[in-house]
Amino acid sequence: MRAELFGSPGNSALTLALLAALGSAAFGLLHWGLVQARWAVVRANSTLFAVGRYPQEQQWRLWLLTALLAAAAGLAWGLLRSHPRRDRGGDLWPQNDWIAVGLLAAIALAVPWWLRLDPLIQGRWWGITALLLLVRWAAGHWGRRLPARVLALLPLLWPLLYLVGMLLINGGLGLLPVPPGDWGGLLLTLIAASFAILLCFPLGVLLALGRRSDLPLLRWGSVLYIEFIRGAPLITLLFLGQNMIGFLLPGGLAPDRVWRAAWVLTFFAAAYLAEAVRAGLVAIPPGQLEAARSLGLTIPQALRTVVLPQALRVALPTMVGQFISLLQDTTMLSLVGLMELMGTARTVMANPAFLGRNAEVYLTLAVLFWCCCAALGLGSRALERRLDPNPAS
Amino acid sequence: MSSALQPPTAHRMIEASGVHKWYPNGFHALRGASLSVHRGEVVVIMGPSGSGKSTFIRTFNALEDFQQGTITVDGIALSNDLRQIDAIRREVGMVFQQFNLFPHLTVLENLTLAPVLVRRRDRAEVEAQARALLQRVNIAEQADKFPGQLSGGQQQRVAIARSLCMEPKILLFDEPTSALDPEMVREVLEVMQDLARDEGMTMVVVTHEVRFAREVAHRVVLMDHGEVVEEAPPELFFTNPSHRRTRAFLDQIL
Ligand SMILES: Nc1ncnc2c1ncn2[C@@H]1O[C@H](COP(=O)(O)OP(=O)(O)OP(=O)(O)O)[C@@H](O)[C@H]1O
Ligand SMILES: [Mg+2]
Repeated sequence: MRAELFGSPGNSALTLALLAALGSAAFGLLHWGLVQARWAVVRANSTLFAVGRYPQEQQWRLWLLTALLAAAAGLAWGLLRSHPRRDRGGDLWPQNDWIAVGLLAAIALAVPWWLRLDPLIQGRWWGITALLLLVRWAAGHWGRRLPARVLALLPLLWPLLYLVGMLLINGGLGLLPVPPGDWGGLLLTLIAASFAILLCFPLGVLLALGRRSDLPLLRWGSVLYIEFIRGAPLITLLFLGQNMIGFLLPGGLAPDRVWRAAWVLTFFAAAYLAEAVRAGLVAIPPGQLEAARSLGLTIPQALRTVVLPQALRVALPTMVGQFISLLQDTTMLSLVGLMELMGTARTVMANPAFLGRNAEVYLTLAVLFWCCCAALGLGSRALERRLDPNPAS
Repeated sequence: MSSALQPPTAHRMIEASGVHKWYPNGFHALRGASLSVHRGEVVVIMGPSGSGKSTFIRTFNALEDFQQGTITVDGIALSNDLRQIDAIRREVGMVFQQFNLFPHLTVLENLTLAPVLVRRRDRAEVEAQARALLQRVNIAEQADKFPGQLSGGQQQRVAIARSLCMEPKILLFDEPTSALDPEMVREVLEVMQDLARDEGMTMVVVTHEVRFAREVAHRVVLMDHGEVVEEAPPELFFTNPSHRRTRAFLDQIL
């Protein structure tokens, strides 16, 4: 280390110069953030950034959903640790988990305080964090008694939660309806992104299989779809979707503007995902399918139990990369007039009361997106390690 | 040595006659190949590289289609009827040169996958049977490992056990020891030999292991240019072959 950084006079000079540059940049940022920046723009609009114009008296539904999500996350986390892979074993509380717990607690304490949130709301965030950690602990503690079969059902938790979540957000079944036009901020960003992620996945897998199918119609249809979507910029597709879906579907059936955009996002992401899955399928030697077929498995059985699990594992890093860009692409929704994070930011910055506070707003947005993407990346890397049949260690 | 072999019965398990196969690129890989295999019989197929050995045995479980001729497996004629193909694949096991184990499943799961999924058998019962099979191929202690953590010889023995777990009536082997280091060839051949001797398993084996052919096979077959050129008991095949092409082939490998 020392030899690398200060090996020769040239290296030493370069190291010192870089250190100086880094130091002054860090100092500049800190000075700006702590002294010059006026964070009132974020503090005063924190609800707007979080949920947009979602009616105040219905927001308990969002709190309930957040609590459910936290509990589900804690459950999945704890169960995965309490059922380590049989061939490898593993700690119930590895060091990484303690770091994660520390980070979560620090964020839960610091961010509401820094945003000067209402003490009541601050308390809710603490409660939700405590719930997550408590469920994590409980699932780790008692999870061992659950058979592995139950664990196999765990991935179904997320689509299920999505349905429950949409019911809570959207209303219906006795809950007061809140139209999509009232959703906004981070809430709308996450709704659009998770809708597209959940749906583009099966769609992308089907397209990838279609592209390799023996049936010419299916194959050419898939190729045409994938190449058309990949050849068009997202923004044109978004405008096209807003204008065209109305013509394609009879009157009352055309979905709301929010859902039109979410569908376009889904169809867009599916084409890219299909390519990632295809690369995974290509990487699986044909002998795998032959072995499965010669054991009597039908083609759907062989795909489901032998080929796809391997292909998806190969494709996982690329797929998560697609999901991350999908999350970032939701900012484009602001261009068709939706009030997701970016759209909200633009209205806030247009407010004369907060004139010239663009840097604060953009930095907040960047940090929010970075947090979401980092969470996706961390989760995917943990999944990759768990699914890797031949770990280096 | 071959006296220890059980004699084959008269029941015909595989009956292939006049099989022609063209690959999609037009290559004529099988040119009227014929072979019949009786229940309990061990047939070794030899022949130069590219002579169509793999193609031929892969037609027996419909991994390859063919354009002319007939193949009957345990009384079922191979056609394009998918349900019949599935029925035949359940009765015919296949062991590949590259093992083709499922790397994302443990050894035990490799064995139990098909019986549970295809035969709809009870999982616990299949697991017990799978462990017994692993014991028989001498790798009981590896049941919870992944294939990538085993040696080549161990992997091939798992592949054999995986086929056996479906309780097939016929086992096809396509060069089962060609991808193995020399010191591992023996352990695999021994397992195959036990299968033939103790179980009377019907086996068709593509291999260049002369000792295995001499000691275990009832008949040895030479393929060349997509045809079966010679069929003879091993003593005759290796010492006094009738065909010129067999002699030329033996000169190269012996
Ligand atoms: N998918 C294919 N398409 C076209 N030709 C093929 C294909 N597979 C095999 N062949 C050709 O068919 C011939 C027979 O191949 P096959 O694999 O059956 O030979 P083999 O006797 O098993 O040879 P080896 O000892 O090398 O395994 C070879 O000439 C080969 O090049
Ligand atoms: Mg071959």
